[in-house]
Amino acid sequence: MPLRDRVARLLAELPDRPQYPTQGATAFVDLERRAVSRAYTPLPVVRALLAGRGANMFYLYRLLDESLEPLDAEVPLIFGSGVLTGIVPSAARGNATSWSPESGVLMDCNAGDYFPSFMKMNGFDHLVLYARSPEWSLLHIRDGEIAFRDARPYLGLDNVDLRARVEADFGGTWTRDLAMASIARAGENLVLTSAIMAGPKSCYARGGPGAKMGALRLKAIVVQGQTHDFETAQPYKGYNREIAQKLLATSVVKHALRTTGTPFLYKPSRILGAMGTKNNQETTWTDQLDANHIDPYRPGMAGCFRCPVNCRPLNDLKTDPSDRYGRGDGPEYVTLGKFGPNIGIDRIESVIRLNNVCNDLGLDTASTGSAIAWAMELFQRGMITNRETGGLDLRWGDAAAVEQLLFMLSRREGFGGVLADGARAVERGHYPPEALRYRMAVKGLMQSDPHDARILKAFALGLAVSTRGMDHLRNRVTLEINARINDDPAFKATLYGGPVSAAPTAYDGKELAVRVCENLFAVGDAVGMCRFTTKLFNSPSLPGLDQFAAQIGNVTGLVTEPADLDRVGLNIMGVERLINRRLGVGRQDDTLPERWFEEPVTVGAYAGEKIDRQEFDAMLSRFYAISNLTEDGVPQDAWRRELEQTLGGL
Amino acid sequence: MISVRLPASLAAEAGTDTLTISDPVRSIADLIEVLDRRLPGFGALFDDALFNFAVNDEMLLHRVRDRTLADGDRVELIPTISGGAG
Repeated sequence: MPLRDRVARLLAELPDRPQYPTQGATAFVDLERRAVSRAYTPLPVVRALLAGRGANMFYLYRLLDESLEPLDAEVPLIFGSGVLTGIVPSAARGNATSWSPESGVLMDCNAGDYFPSFMKMNGFDHLVLYARSPEWSLLHIRDGEIAFRDARPYLGLDNVDLRARVEADFGGTWTRDLAMASIARAGENLVLTSAIMAGPKSCYARGGPGAKMGALRLKAIVVQGQTHDFETAQPYKGYNREIAQKLLATSVVKHALRTTGTPFLYKPSRILGAMGTKNNQETTWTDQLDANHIDPYRPGMAGCFRCPVNCRPLNDLKTDPSDRYGRGDGPEYVTLGKFGPNIGIDRIESVIRLNNVCNDLGLDTASTGSAIAWAMELFQRGMITNRETGGLDLRWGDAAAVEQLLFMLSRREGFGGVLADGARAVERGHYPPEALRYRMAVKGLMQSDPHDARILKAFALGLAVSTRGMDHLRNRVTLEINARINDDPAFKATLYGGPVSAAPTAYDGKELAVRVCENLFAVGDAVGMCRFTTKLFNSPSLPGLDQFAAQIGNVTGLVTEPADLDRVGLNIMGVERLINRRLGVGRQDDTLPERWFEEPVTVGAYAGEKIDRQEFDAMLSRFYAISNLTEDGVPQDAWRRELEQTLGGL
Repeated sequence: MISVRLPASLAAEAGTDTLTISDPVRSIADLIEVLDRRLPGFGALFDDALFNFAVNDEMLLHRVRDRTLADGDRVELIPTISGGAG
């Protein structure tokens, strides 16, 4: 059935007015016909999945035609803001969802900054974008209306120039009354590791969303308007203050996120011998990239809409002001790892500069860094040579060559065209099939985090079962490396609903921890809360299901208990697995890169550690059992029928 | 003698980034007691769930309080967090 017919059928089922106070509309935007239809997510779907990532899955489930290809304009790109986005401190996030052109499975990525909140301020919870625009276009949202603009004047602009031009042309001020989701040249050129930029650095990163937006010929969505308070079911500001106080009183916020940001993690990772180095051939690297070496180049911190934490480190390399890449936003730990040890770079200044280049070119640093590291290992092994690279010498640690490669990648020039195909380089005939042995990916998605998870078994399980591919943000049991919690088994059992081994290398009970984290983090995405400030990701003390349930009640009037929300988290994972099943994903895809099963860690206190196949397989089966999944990783029949009834459309 | 290196956020409160402990301490548990006597209130910070102890560049992930210490050991407090890319 053509997508327009699917949309029409869905619209006929959807309410035409808000179902609760603060609910925004879902705008169905036909980019080819320049037409907009509006409706609202029905209450049964809200109760089962909430908004943001949750309801995004409802729309994708209903509109996806898996007989097409991910970049087909009949496959929609869906933006969603959370139930509490823009309303609650540190809830500034939204998701972008589709069929991933990079991995071939579910694409679902998340960004903060100001765009998701301003979308909600304009009365939209979701934007469903489809059908290729005849010419490059730009959507302009203001006062709750969506207008189509000619984007041709902005074509070819990367993030820095685009933001300057848009601010000049549309008026307004970033962070006050102007926000944007946009692509740079990498997205225009359908680079599979391209992001949708939501700010100077913030981006919808994973799975190739930039390429998906580029395939629709949509350069940007500009959102304007004054911020305002929401009409809520009950007073909510008093409880907001409690949440803000809870955030600011938590040790990880006070001592790490507000002062330095996520680069703090580099040091524990390298000391542990768990720092992905040279495409995970090694697991530790120089202390010259420790967070304290960034201090001289960090003029301050920035933050997202109404977030009291301000965890984003800014940078200034103090180079000539005309140096486009001498200053910027970041790097976060992921970029530090992917453009440091993973490609053999040991100078902090080089990492910061490459971070700034990636942000300008609109690239996901996780997948882009991984694609470069993969190519470097293949070059090291002689599986590709100067002949394939067009004469480029892919030596570890050559920052100047990497910078050159990034520009080539964003333009699909020469060997950059190979890197632009990311994890699909073998499938597209660039590398020999045996190169897959060295690809650090699961379900076709390169690893998000630079951490090497051979030591940490809950971490490893999470990377294997994540529905969007190899990504820690879906379920990482970060507290697995937290000694105080490991040494308090009763408290740990309370956190995860049962006994979980204290030993990081053990497999016992780790499935419980992954299950609890996956549910909680899915709910966090559905309400719009930042992962860094969600309970269990970095601390046991941050806001979690209790606080979300209370504030959902205040804001929407929908009565919900923490246990109901836990079920929502499970439902979201269940729908994602139903979508992935349609895309051919099964148990065989809930796995890890071969290297981690076969090659032990060689340094540090955990030298000799790797993933045991039998233990892993048993842990995966236990995970399926407690997740109400079949042995092939899809919802059990009764639950599947329940989900399908809620989703409708069958 | 044991040296204890503090992260920047605690160093600011302690007024130094490295403490030298000459009292006899045989374990991390002993060390926390000594530090709490020397810097009243710091015991709670050392017991904060954010910080892990590392001894001679080996990060301790469990059974921490029983970890034995010897003269010349270098102890460090390291924040353990995670980051991400959306």
